[in-house]
Amino acid sequence: MSVTPTVDPRVPITVLTGFLGSGKTTLLNRILTEQHGKRIAVIENEFGEVGIDQDLVIQADEEIFEMNNGCICCTVRGDLIRILGNLMKRKDRFDAILIETTGMADPGPVVQTFFVDDEMVRNLKLDAIVTLVDARHVVAHLDDSDEVKEQIAFADVILLNKIDLVHSADLDALEARLRGMNATARIYRTENASIDLNRVLGIEGFSLDRALELDPRFLEPEYPFEWSGVYRLEPGSYTFVVPAGPDPAMQVALLPLPGEASGAVEDALMGAVLAFSAAKASGDDVRSGGTLPVGAAANLNLTADENRFAVEITEPGAYALFTEHLPEEFGAALRGPTGTVEPAHVRGYKPDHEHDEEVTSVGLTSEGALNLKRFNAWLREVLMTQGPDIFRMKGVLNFDGEDQRYVFQGVHMLLDGRPDRPWGSDPRESKLIFIGRNLNREALNRGFTSCLA
Amino acid sequence: MDDHVQALAWASDSALLAAAAINGSIALFDGDGERRLVLSGHAFGTTSIDWSADGRLASGGQDGHVCVWNAAAGAPALRLPAGAAWVEQVAWSPDGTLLAAAAGKRVRVWDRDGRLVREFGDHPSTVSDIAWKPGSHTVTAAAYGGVFLWDADAETNAGRHLDWQGSTLVLAWSPDGRYIATGDQDATVHFWIAKTETDLQMWGYATKVRELSWDAASRYLATGGSETIVIWDCSGRGPEGTKPKMLDGHEDYLSAVAWQKRGNVLASADAAGGVMLWRPDRARIPLAVAIYDSGVSCLAWSPNDRSLAVGCGNGLIEVLASPVSGR
Repeated sequence: MSVTPTVDPRVPITVLTGFLGSGKTTLLNRILTEQHGKRIAVIENEFGEVGIDQDLVIQADEEIFEMNNGCICCTVRGDLIRILGNLMKRKDRFDAILIETTGMADPGPVVQTFFVDDEMVRNLKLDAIVTLVDARHVVAHLDDSDEVKEQIAFADVILLNKIDLVHSADLDALEARLRGMNATARIYRTENASIDLNRVLGIEGFSLDRALELDPRFLEPEYPFEWSGVYRLEPGSYTFVVPAGPDPAMQVALLPLPGEASGAVEDALMGAVLAFSAAKASGDDVRSGGTLPVGAAANLNLTADENRFAVEITEPGAYALFTEHLPEEFGAALRGPTGTVEPAHVRGYKPDHEHDEEVTSVGLTSEGALNLKRFNAWLREVLMTQGPDIFRMKGVLNFDGEDQRYVFQGVHMLLDGRPDRPWGSDPRESKLIFIGRNLNREALNRGFTSCLA
Repeated sequence: MDDHVQALAWASDSALLAAAAINGSIALFDGDGERRLVLSGHAFGTTSIDWSADGRLASGGQDGHVCVWNAAAGAPALRLPAGAAWVEQVAWSPDGTLLAAAAGKRVRVWDRDGRLVREFGDHPSTVSDIAWKPGSHTVTAAAYGGVFLWDADAETNAGRHLDWQGSTLVLAWSPDGRYIATGDQDATVHFWIAKTETDLQMWGYATKVRELSWDAASRYLATGGSETIVIWDCSGRGPEGTKPKMLDGHEDYLSAVAWQKRGNVLASADAAGGVMLWRPDRARIPLAVAIYDSGVSCLAWSPNDRSLAVGCGNGLIEVLASPVSGR
């Protein structure tokens, strides 16, 4: 647990979301039985099955209160206001409160309850949304369930659970996909929801202080590739085999790395971007039976039923293979003299081409100072027109003429923001991220850029 | 009390004050503030208490039961299942013959012997408040979606629904039965004109409104919902389009407002521990101010208007003598 300099009397709230069978009850039981010395209250949904008596467990019907003005952002959970209002009056307070939602719940009303209701705002603080994902079954719901998409989009922490039932390559693909939807969540892989509780409690996902810690990854440039794998290769002849897949062509690059550490691939990213760009400019393509060059990118033509590309390795060492699409989509594999070679590390990247993902994260960044008035007008416009589709947003802003950083975060149309510490000698930079449905990156970027002073 | 004071209620003869703590116990005090008796109350929490006109104390709690107490024996004379895990509110009919309780989406009504007379289940959400229409056997329930009126004497459960798309938290009948005032989650106050079932909505509150009190003449409705006491005048053509009387002085959100039962003194309390007494018809400054160590949770005037009971978040209960007759 991090130590905060001032004692916040507000009790932290953790919201657990996830489809039926994703492991919410398992995680709750784990939290309640582990020796953590905290007094925890659990508000479980009406189908909840937690039955521990040393802590307080209350069942709640999810009563969604919409307001007469029809604004979805004012929709709150009436049952929570009633139950928590009562709990907070008691002398023996709780150290933390966990709220379990039903599998089909939209996290919006739960989250908004802690922004909108004065009594909740005063006594409680939302710590984080923890979303459990059944690694095996979630794929079937990612496309057709709005609830699953929303649960992922709202999350501060995603537990990719039941990984023992899934192949690691499928897990990588799933994680990359979730990462594309929600770039800010921390993703952990778990079996039986087994996780260090410090990774799910005390996260401060809604804390403005943490808005400053925007992971640069959220705002990473867009790469022309979706995946990289680091292989240790001995000299010899290898074959990159790509069965016919969803696209007739794919760009790949195989680049030697100075070392095998996972950080080495970070250093190779810029080289990979340049290699992809050079290959694209050349327009040459390599057909099945051709050679995949080492140290460069190639445009692979994948029109055969099975496409085979020769790879000649002369120096032993670590190599990074960058691919435009996820290898799993094609069933692509690197085969060596002794069979398929598995990568030591893999990493997913945000795709920059039109993806069919409805929920995405858009990161915007600029070194120039923003004009306060213009920025306000722009953000208001964005929230008025797209508020219902924006699940989370966070930002650190550099306003023209202001010595202090401005930090903010929000949910739908509800915003929480304040000036933070002075910039001092730190480089001034505005960083902003939206997680939402049908976000138009170009339009958002254009709008954001137009706010520059 | 050893925990947050959840409710205070005076017996009709002003001789006994009942106080419920949020942890469940119920204490009975005499008019001088001497504690006479502690009742076990309800496991996990007592939410509501009410005295009948003939001096029987009913309570509801988070054990899902309603109790009618035999104060002499210190034990419940009746213990009635309310139909859900959490009883929100209990209320005796004005004539003391019927007892209503709201628990979950249901309102149940029993006779004085504990026989279940009626169950009204058709509420769209948990019933947050109930009140009897003055001088009647019509019980009124506040819930998400407005106000529901049920006649406990009717042969069927066909109630009336005053439809409002929002969450109604508390309701208060004007003593003359003309108006139902409600405080709502969306920071508004509603007036329903009982006869025509038309409504007026009052905007501009800072928070949800849970503090409502009518004066004895049914003219003024005092409301909380911010740091300012807002008083609507329902005389003449009603409060629509009028500018309410506003009383400033509290430094935190109001937690209770209470008019005397017959007199003209208004008491108000806030979440920071301030209690003030006002004569709103005479002055915009308070008659008296008291400050407590913890937030004040409830206020109750004795039926003879001579005493004001103050209940605090830290369990303190104090009985203040009224500084004026109020007449």
